[in-house]
Amino acid sequence: MAAEQTERIFVLPGDRIDHSLIPSHPKRALRLGPGLRHIPPNELVPTVAGQLVTDHKKNSIWVEYNGGRYTPTVGDLVIGTVHHSAVDYFYVMLSGYTSNAILPQLAFEMASKKTRPNLNPGSLVYARVCLANRHMDPELECVSPTTGKADGLGPLNGGMLFDISPGMARRLLMRKSVEEGKVVVLEELGSAGLAFETAVGRNGKIWVNSENVKTVLAVGRAVKETDENNLGVEQQKKLVRRLVKEVS
Amino acid sequence: MPREAEPSLNERAFVVQALQEGLRVDGRAFDQFRKLELKFGDQYGVADVTLGKTRILAKVSAEVTTPYSDRPFDGIFTITTELSPMASPAFEVNRPTETEILLSRLLEKTVRRSNALDTESLCLIAGQKCWSIRVDLHVLSHDGNLIDGSCFAVVAALRHFRKPDTSMEGGNLTVYTPAEREPVPLSWLHSPFCVTFSFYGEGEMALLDACLLEEQLRVSSCTISLNKHGEICQIAKLGGTPVDAAALLQCASVALNKVKEFSTLLDRRLAEDSKKRDKGGLLAELSAENER
Repeated sequence: MAAEQTERIFVLPGDRIDHSLIPSHPKRALRLGPGLRHIPPNELVPTVAGQLVTDHKKNSIWVEYNGGRYTPTVGDLVIGTVHHSAVDYFYVMLSGYTSNAILPQLAFEMASKKTRPNLNPGSLVYARVCLANRHMDPELECVSPTTGKADGLGPLNGGMLFDISPGMARRLLMRKSVEEGKVVVLEELGSAGLAFETAVGRNGKIWVNSENVKTVLAVGRAVKETDENNLGVEQQKKLVRRLVKEVS
Repeated sequence: MPREAEPSLNERAFVVQALQEGLRVDGRAFDQFRKLELKFGDQYGVADVTLGKTRILAKVSAEVTTPYSDRPFDGIFTITTELSPMASPAFEVNRPTETEILLSRLLEKTVRRSNALDTESLCLIAGQKCWSIRVDLHVLSHDGNLIDGSCFAVVAALRHFRKPDTSMEGGNLTVYTPAEREPVPLSWLHSPFCVTFSFYGEGEMALLDACLLEEQLRVSSCTISLNKHGEICQIAKLGGTPVDAAALLQCASVALNKVKEFSTLLDRRLAEDSKKRDKGGLLAELSAENER
């Protein structure tokens, strides 16, 4: 969302997109995100209903919508469940009823033939999608290929997993989730004195861990209620006050 | 064959740990149901039940057929359940899962074999003509506790249903259209409801109305069917961890309270619905039904 864009633009499938809305950059090529289709020579047609969002710096345009199932894209952070393991790979479930993603057993920080992690079926793992083709199983990694550091990726121990909508996951993963995503529950809960850690997967999962079971439940419920009831910033603050009162 | 996605180890451990501290994942009390909603359709005999995110639709239909030769004085009453892939991708068409078979068997035992519907009243001409009442149950969305929701939907739909009025004159059977004569309700004897308990740990923790995640993690379950007078129609405890007899007795008394709540809700909704349909108070005059 560009700063100068004050009014939100909503599109329906098949709408005509005004050419003034499409960003132009002298050097970079225009990048189309999800929900848009290019009809040559120069027509853009939305394929889903949602909010049209443009980024002038990256010269990209896409439609932000909440729905559908998760489709893996390179660079996404996801939370998967290990389904089973083979000689070299873990087979990881990203969302139910889709084919498993593969996670090489050596794609962990400091992993070697002798020190690779032992993940049992059913363990949770926080990973990055490093290969996503349409007709192949996606591939994951838990280590940055350039630095060899984990950067917080890896097996998730303890805690609880909550399902959220893909749109909510995107909002939580925005660089400025408070200003742009309009999600303040996590910040509010943190400033209310609750200690917890979270990991958000773009496949519509949020993992919450804390010493206290009640805190985990409060955080999970805060995020889920915000998601399901589409709460605004003020309502979220109210919800957090109510939940904090229940916890203590 | 597709299977339900299994919950991860973390979820398993957490849910059990939370239960040991007396907490449920969705913040309910152990014996608290999710919000139970009942809506009737424009037609008679359509009930739409939502229990949290679980949604079930029951539709009743009636037709005139020949009775079974070994039961010439009884009408025909069938309940068909269908779990379509719409409810969950784990369900396949034409391949009933264990859930579906258990569900239809439990409904059969609860509603049909407890004689909730007086099948003799469905007989029109002995050995020749009778009503065949059919309940179609569709699960539209599956988030646990299908049994309680389905039973409630079936009973609600049958109590709401009206079959066409008929008359016999010198061996001639006449079936009247709704325009000619107001349809008549079924002869209903009692309303049984199911209450399912899910057990955790060593069987010492009992939950009511488990959601899908809780259902996947339970160690055993027990379904008690009874009516509001406390008459138990059936108890099904199919395997799983053994449960203390005293705990089961406790469950039965909890179930009775719940069934009383269900009955009141159903009666209230039926009254509201008949009030809505009864425009100008004409229904009482149109009815050809006699006071018993």
